[in-house]
Amino acid sequence: MKKWHQRIGNWLSQNLELPSDVVLELPRITTIGQLHAYIENHRGLLLFTDNELRLNMEYGYLKITGKNFVLRMMLPEEILLEGTISEIVFIESDD
Amino acid sequence: MKQTQGVFFAGYVTIKVSGHHPELFFDLCARKGIMVWSIKKVSKTECTGNIKLKDISDVKALRRKTIYKIAFRNKKGLPFFTNKLLYRKPLIIGLVLSLLFVTYLSNMVWSVNVKGVNSEIQKKIENQLDEYGIQPGALKFNIGSPGEIQQKLLNDIPELLWVGVTEKGTTYHLEGVEKTIVEEGEKLSPRNLVAKKEGVIVEYYISKGQPMIKINDVVKKGDLLVSGELGKSQEEEDKEEDKKGTKKQLVAAEGEIIAKTWYKSNVTIPLETNYEVLTGDNKKKYYLRFGDFMVPVWGFKSPEYKEIQLEASDRSVNFFKWELPISFVKQTIHEKEKVKEKRTKDEAKAAAIKQAKKELQQKLGKDAEITFGKVLQESMESGKVKLTLSFDVLEDIAKSQPIVQGD
Repeated sequence: MKKWHQRIGNWLSQNLELPSDVVLELPRITTIGQLHAYIENHRGLLLFTDNELRLNMEYGYLKITGKNFVLRMMLPEEILLEGTISEIVFIESDD
Repeated sequence: MKQTQGVFFAGYVTIKVSGHHPELFFDLCARKGIMVWSIKKVSKTECTGNIKLKDISDVKALRRKTIYKIAFRNKKGLPFFTNKLLYRKPLIIGLVLSLLFVTYLSNMVWSVNVKGVNSEIQKKIENQLDEYGIQPGALKFNIGSPGEIQQKLLNDIPELLWVGVTEKGTTYHLEGVEKTIVEEGEKLSPRNLVAKKEGVIVEYYISKGQPMIKINDVVKKGDLLVSGELGKSQEEEDKEEDKKGTKKQLVAAEGEIIAKTWYKSNVTIPLETNYEVLTGDNKKKYYLRFGDFMVPVWGFKSPEYKEIQLEASDRSVNFFKWELPISFVKQTIHEKEKVKEKRTKDEAKAAAIKQAKKELQQKLGKDAEITFGKVLQESMESGKVKLTLSFDVLEDIAKSQPIVQGD
């Protein structure tokens, strides 16, 4: 069921040139070097410490690790993370 | 980052959230549309972040549904700053007082300089200025404009020919030129006195020269009245006898020849006149003017005058050397009355004679003695009386004429 939904989304974004983050409800992450990470379209905060940030996504979650993390700004579905980013990892949910 | 702009002016608070996974409380806030920023994890169970001042009540309401604890830490921004400032009342009062004091000092006369005249007149000018209230320590609002001061000084000190008043900040500079009374030259060139106009001689006083007229003589314009050639008549008498007799002596003839002269003047005077007079009742009002906006300071009631005449003086307020866009306005409201006057023909005639006499006096100077002669012509025309009047005038008709020495 999920795969089928994803396939239609893929097809839409490829053939109709619709932005994939909107169609597929995926997060858009903009980073400026290691300094900032701007994450849009997430599905809620799971964990935040000064060296790790976990955000919920539609399918799975996003893990960002680093040092001295500060959430510069927080809006519904938007987060601006500041600090020294070392890793951005996508972790797919098992089901 | 745009969202956090202007947050200083609205005011913001740093809150500390404690509990299990405190960051989730901020996530909850963000979901509810409350802006949060600068979130830091202090320890495992504590998290700090900023929220806007106006969101505090929402955050408190949200907290009640959770198990977290909130502590308010730093209060920052303009609202807190002003609150703190207002708490220190003496500071505010001192600040306002000092500003008022500087404004007051900036609008005071600090010194008056008088230049260009000798010490006697300088003293006189200074005394006069004291009388007007222009002295160090006086407020500038009560002082007229430099032009007015100039006019007043010229009227009150007859020795002054000209005075220039300039207002430079808090200083008044006055520059005067005194009248130098030129003594009439002792040596006048020889001259005769001749008649300025036609008339009958009434009286004469001659201090120098030889009279060529007698009382009741009729003279025409240009007739010789007093001759500057002494011994002329003798010479004429002796002409036949001795041609090389006494030598002519030339002097500057001097004297006053009063003669009766006649003037004709035409006057037109309406039977009905409208004019306005001030009743003498007046009221003063004071305003502070900010641009076009007037704030009354004193004199709030409007007088119940039917007809008014306004007189306003405007003085701008200075702060140090700058002119503030504020000015002090003094307004005087005079009561005015319209007078409608109807005259009979006789009254109109009397008024016409009076008017013509006044005009004539102005033309001839105050030494002339004018007596009314008679009405030569009289006509009525569309509500107006037209008169031709004749006047008898006693005046000095002497005019000097230099003697040209041909040989």
